Amino acid sequence: MAQLEIRDLTVDFGGFRAVDGLNLNVEKGELLCLLGPNGAGKSTTLDLICGKTQPTSGKVVFDGATITNLPEFKRARHGVGRKFQIPSVFKRLTVRENLELARSQRPGVWANITRILAKPSEALEKIMETVGLTDQRHVLAENLSHGQTQWLEIAMLLSQDCKLLLMDEPTAGMTASETQRTAAILEKLHGERTIVVVEHDMQFVRKVARRITVLHQGSVLAEGSIKDIESNPEVRSAYLGH
Amino acid sequence: MTSTLRNDFLSIAAFAALIVLAVPLFFGFDGYELNTFARYLCLGMVAMALALSWGTAGILNLGQAAPFGLGAYIMAMHLKLMNSTSMPGGMPDFMGWMNIETLPWFWQPFHSLGFTLLAGLLFPAAMAFAIGAFIFKGRVSGVFVAIITLAVLVAIQLLFVEEQGYTGGQNGLTGLALLTIFGVTIDNYSLNFYYLVAASLLIVTVLATMLSRSKAGLVLRAVREDPNRARFLGYDVSNYEILVFSVSAAIAGFAGMLYTLVLQFASPTYMSVSFSLSIVIWCAVGGRESLIGAAIGAIVVNMLEGRLSDVFVEAWLMVLGVLFIAIVLFLPRGLYGLAVSVLDAMRSQDKARHGTTAKTGEPTRPGESASTSPTASLSAGE
Repeated sequence: MAQLEIRDLTVDFGGFRAVDGLNLNVEKGELLCLLGPNGAGKSTTLDLICGKTQPTSGKVVFDGATITNLPEFKRARHGVGRKFQIPSVFKRLTVRENLELARSQRPGVWANITRILAKPSEALEKIMETVGLTDQRHVLAENLSHGQTQWLEIAMLLSQDCKLLLMDEPTAGMTASETQRTAAILEKLHGERTIVVVEHDMQFVRKVARRITVLHQGSVLAEGSIKDIESNPEVRSAYLGH
Repeated sequence: MTSTLRNDFLSIAAFAALIVLAVPLFFGFDGYELNTFARYLCLGMVAMALALSWGTAGILNLGQAAPFGLGAYIMAMHLKLMNSTSMPGGMPDFMGWMNIETLPWFWQPFHSLGFTLLAGLLFPAAMAFAIGAFIFKGRVSGVFVAIITLAVLVAIQLLFVEEQGYTGGQNGLTGLALLTIFGVTIDNYSLNFYYLVAASLLIVTVLATMLSRSKAGLVLRAVREDPNRARFLGYDVSNYEILVFSVSAAIAGFAGMLYTLVLQFASPTYMSVSFSLSIVIWCAVGGRESLIGAAIGAIVVNMLEGRLSDVFVEAWLMVLGVLFIAIVLFLPRGLYGLAVSVLDAMRSQDKARHGTTAKTGEPTRPGESASTSPTASLSAGE
């Protein structure tokens, strides 16, 4: 059984079906890329998995548990982590504080009221190293560069130790070298965690994707490797119009 | 992180020195002055309570006077009973005037000082818990929280004014006994009493600082910025909001109890809208991000009021209003923000001076200081 299973998922925004009868399976440790023209329902699909949006019908099963209608914080506790398109780190907190915050394995009030933050744990040090923010630990997130902000958010997902990483355009606005570095980070995570990425940058997709699902008008248009997708005439016509 | 802890320790020590040593030295050990200053400290405590919920978690509670007033009445009920033992049925005088036959059941337990002290903390907290659960589980936020808390405040005050037979109505509770604790009667004009209030404020300062520095405090600061993002990390944000809302109410209740001891009466004006809004102004003046800043804001504004309201009886409220507008426009982070930027400016000047001396001495230093100075100026901008 796949780790993430989506069955006939539909969401209706007052007559407009952003996601329409979507079926999707993601295996454990897999890196899946979601492609599709604007308005295909890629971001909405991520919203439905992480709980930002509630579906009209259908089912989301993660690790054998149905999470379709759980509030977002409970899904996060199941191990679903989300990186938003617009980087949403806590700007008025430092890098270190953002990561401490994301380390939310004990999210209860009582567990946290008596916890004073001491030295960063080894795991945290390692994460800061992975994304190259070790020297910026005391810098407020609002003072990071755009690329660093994106990496901080990826680092937060790692610190959160989620099993499923949902990433919405992780390379948006990055320079070429920053994009490469992001690809390297994802490569490193591949196999360790299940990742679903929405991305437009085809060079990046070519680099990281093993399997690609193309969405069109809220449902799956094509699935396969990068080669299959690039040579698929239906995909071409969906992107270019008739 | 250790440097923040050190800063906290230093600022609490400075605050302690200010209220324990400097105040009696400057204002004299005269009973009246000390009592007045003890009053300011109580108001400082309630401002600190608001800073905890508003500054840390971004919950603007316009009804902070409600738990304060409840604490004040709870203490006054005990002292009133202590002064009514010779009355028929041990009943407070005003109840007799209202033709109430026997002491109501909810007055009975306030014979006990232990119960009174606990109730003064827990009743406001429980009330805040109930209201907070309603507000935060419903994911109400921002200006709507302010409106609901204000409405609750008005309702509670109305209840206290209307139920004259049980609460003394518009007159409040007057003719109170002095507090007797462990057989010692505490004179509210004595130096010891002043120290009792000062020590209470310091204990609250330490506890509130610990809360704001815990991981729960970190979550609250995250909630202030973006509650939805905090939810995606797995935090049930409403629980944290309810916690800080209740703790803040308990502190306000404590301040209210002390306030009754200082003034020797409880009045429904403690729960008035204008008093509640004043707390917000004190917080803004002192700087809501800092607990001690908020307390100092309350103390400074009330000292000014004490001096100026004699001179400009009617115009004082105008002065307060202008002060508030000026602070919001020119010092959005209050006196605390001003102090932080002055300190940072001094520090970077220091650094610059070291940098120039290093230039002549060691050639390697300037490059180093040049690489650190951007971060210094960034943290000054924070």
